[in-house]
Amino acid sequence: MPLQSKAFQRWLHGVAPDASTADVCRIAGIKRTTLAQQLVRGKVAESTLVSISRGFHVNPVEALSTFDLYAELRGAPVPPTACELVSQIATIDLLRAVVERSEPGSAPAGNLSEPPHPTSVRNWVDAIDDGELRHRVSDTTGIAPQNFSAHLTANRLPPELAIATSRAAGVGPAGGLVAGGLITEAEAGWPANARQEALDNMSQSALVTLAGERLLALGKTLRRQEQDHERTERIWENLG
Amino acid sequence: MTAVLPWVTLVVCLAVTVARIPSALRGENRVVFYIFSLISLSIFISIEAPYLVLDGWLGGMNVGNLILRFLLYTTFFLMGIKIATAFGSPSAVRAIRGPVGLTVAAIVAVLTVYFFVITDTQGSSAGMSGLTWGPSLEAYAFMGRFYPGFVAACLVPAIWRTVVSAAPVLLRVASGLLLLGLCLLLLSQLFPLIPFSEAWLRVLINYSAAMSTCIGLAGIWFSKAYSRRKRRLSA
Repeated sequence: MPLQSKAFQRWLHGVAPDASTADVCRIAGIKRTTLAQQLVRGKVAESTLVSISRGFHVNPVEALSTFDLYAELRGAPVPPTACELVSQIATIDLLRAVVERSEPGSAPAGNLSEPPHPTSVRNWVDAIDDGELRHRVSDTTGIAPQNFSAHLTANRLPPELAIATSRAAGVGPAGGLVAGGLITEAEAGWPANARQEALDNMSQSALVTLAGERLLALGKTLRRQEQDHERTERIWENLG
Repeated sequence: MTAVLPWVTLVVCLAVTVARIPSALRGENRVVFYIFSLISLSIFISIEAPYLVLDGWLGGMNVGNLILRFLLYTTFFLMGIKIATAFGSPSAVRAIRGPVGLTVAAIVAVLTVYFFVITDTQGSSAGMSGLTWGPSLEAYAFMGRFYPGFVAACLVPAIWRTVVSAAPVLLRVASGLLLLGLCLLLLSQLFPLIPFSEAWLRVLINYSAAMSTCIGLAGIWFSKAYSRRKRRLSA
């Protein structure tokens, strides 16, 4: 459940006491109608809060942590595990790393792209899953396992579910928010080079195996997309 | 409302048919154009005023109704094959065009004519509602509902799979409308349970079925055009 609009307005008053709603929206780069609608419904999306925080140079994680729902974010950031860091490296960057290690200097070395990548959410959950994680999450939050799966497939992770998932896995609370694309890794307090270092620390075999797993999953997704595409085209070809 | 509904349905179907003329002239999916033409024609002669004129020319013994039945059988045969092919269901294509389907169609055709001949059908009236309804006329009406229902039953599973798939939203909505139309046809198998005093309900179901089938088919066409345009614009 997103943030209560009363608490949100209290927070907004603390951050920007003199700004009008129009100013807030302009500075945060959000639509006025969007904010108005969320306030009327009584529930403000976390992404709105994050945009406004960035606009007013407030750390979004600190902003979120002022709400009871996100109390776990208070205090010093919990450092991410190596698995979490690697899970937030895009598949294409992993493949580049494989090539670079096999034939050094043959590919131009680039910086890792910022998370989230196209399968961030699933990879993050897989990285922290001890085999029972999904059960525990659905027990504590009441989310049906197939709905949880649907989120993973769609590569989205509602912030509240992200928090519940990290709690159930016993990792830092901000990791899921990074994987879900709500906040950046810097905002979550991850050191700038952390992902690159985690990648460099992987053995050749671990890296190649992981890249292989990612490719296998990508292949499955692509095949499904191609089949869906073929089905659609056949309908259009016959009835369009 | 049930007096206006048939005309509205006719206008919608005619509009879609006219809109398909250019692509039919270009030779794209002519069968779809024929299907829309047949649906429009069927709806036209099912409406009271045109029906009475047409049947008057044919001797005023409801031969017009018999013609209407066969128009509908042809429409559903063509539509069934086309839709089953489109939605990727070889089993539905076989069920409609294979030995079973052709046998069903032949039996329905023969029995339709038989029940028509043994019934006293003097006196033009749309839907033959002005006649005295005996068992033979009931059986005749049953045949008229049964074949479209049979085709609809063959198509429902394949269309449902598309409605719940990850296809483009417009295509899913259009397929949903088509599915609704076919389900209404299945529902119409229960017409004998509707008392005569509630005849408006049959009219409502029949024309809603025709309307949503027609809009659904047109919507599939529209979703294709929309997606092509979007792709061109983004390219």
